[in-house]
Amino acid sequence: MTEPEEPKDDKLDDERDDELVRSLLKRTLATDVVAKDTPDLLQGVQRRIRRRSRGKFFADGWSTGQAKVGYVLVALITLVLVAVAYFALGPMDVR
Amino acid sequence: MPDDPDAARQAGEEEARLVERLVARDERAFNTLVKAYERRVFALVLRMIGNRAEAEDLAQEVFVQVFKAVGSFRGESKLSTWIYRIAINLCKNRTKYLRVRHAGEQDELEALQERVPMGQGTHSNVAHIDRPDEMMAGKQVEHIVQQAILQLEPTFRECLVLRDVEELSYEEIGAITGLPEGTVKSRIHRARAQLKELVERALGEKIQ
Repeated sequence: MTEPEEPKDDKLDDERDDELVRSLLKRTLATDVVAKDTPDLLQGVQRRIRRRSRGKFFADGWSTGQAKVGYVLVALITLVLVAVAYFALGPMDVR
Repeated sequence: MPDDPDAARQAGEEEARLVERLVARDERAFNTLVKAYERRVFALVLRMIGNRAEAEDLAQEVFVQVFKAVGSFRGESKLSTWIYRIAINLCKNRTKYLRVRHAGEQDELEALQERVPMGQGTHSNVAHIDRPDEMMAGKQVEHIVQQAILQLEPTFRECLVLRDVEELSYEEIGAITGLPEGTVKSRIHRARAQLKELVERALGEKIQ
């Protein structure tokens, strides 16, 4: 036996009600309204991982922060400093 | 999801590369992931829990779980779907816990509304309200809707929020909740009916 079909008017009412609620939710609970005040989660997450991994992850200053300078830049600066120090002191004759 | 097939493919490739780095425990990749998803995860959790402090704590926990479990991510669903699934499961557990503790009484969403200037959200229903009496009415409606959402059964609430606020497809919601598509549709329909009734009862008038 087949299930009796829902009257068309009821279906239309349902669809209209669904649409009303959808638009109400979109207006009132949009992500940009709620998330406008999103806290910075990163530091807290890193702290938890560091603690639970007993320092295995996010243990150093490079990875825990949003590092402004990369490893390559630091390496280049170090090389330049070494070169400057070398020439400032003057090549030494060790003989 | 981008409509353009090329853009979709490119997004998929970028995601695959990010997942590879995550599986390799690249901490910078994980930082990128947290920054990319923190707003969406926090907003979802806050709507599900309704308490800002709990939501912040839980959103952080979501990312810790993502970090722990990313090795088991098989790429069968989108990364976002997988993260949402973790978030929804943690919300369910926390809701049960809070219900036992009777700690879910404080309504932080109300406080949030006070902090977010009205009309700053692009979809806010008070964006074009000039009259203070209308603005108050708009705030009241927002508060009523948020309260009503929290009164829904958690299983109905998650389907409704994922569909009508996050605007996910039925297929994605099915993947997140583990429910068949037909059940998802039915729960959303029933949740909308319940929500409409709750809001209209609180407002004392029909939703227009």
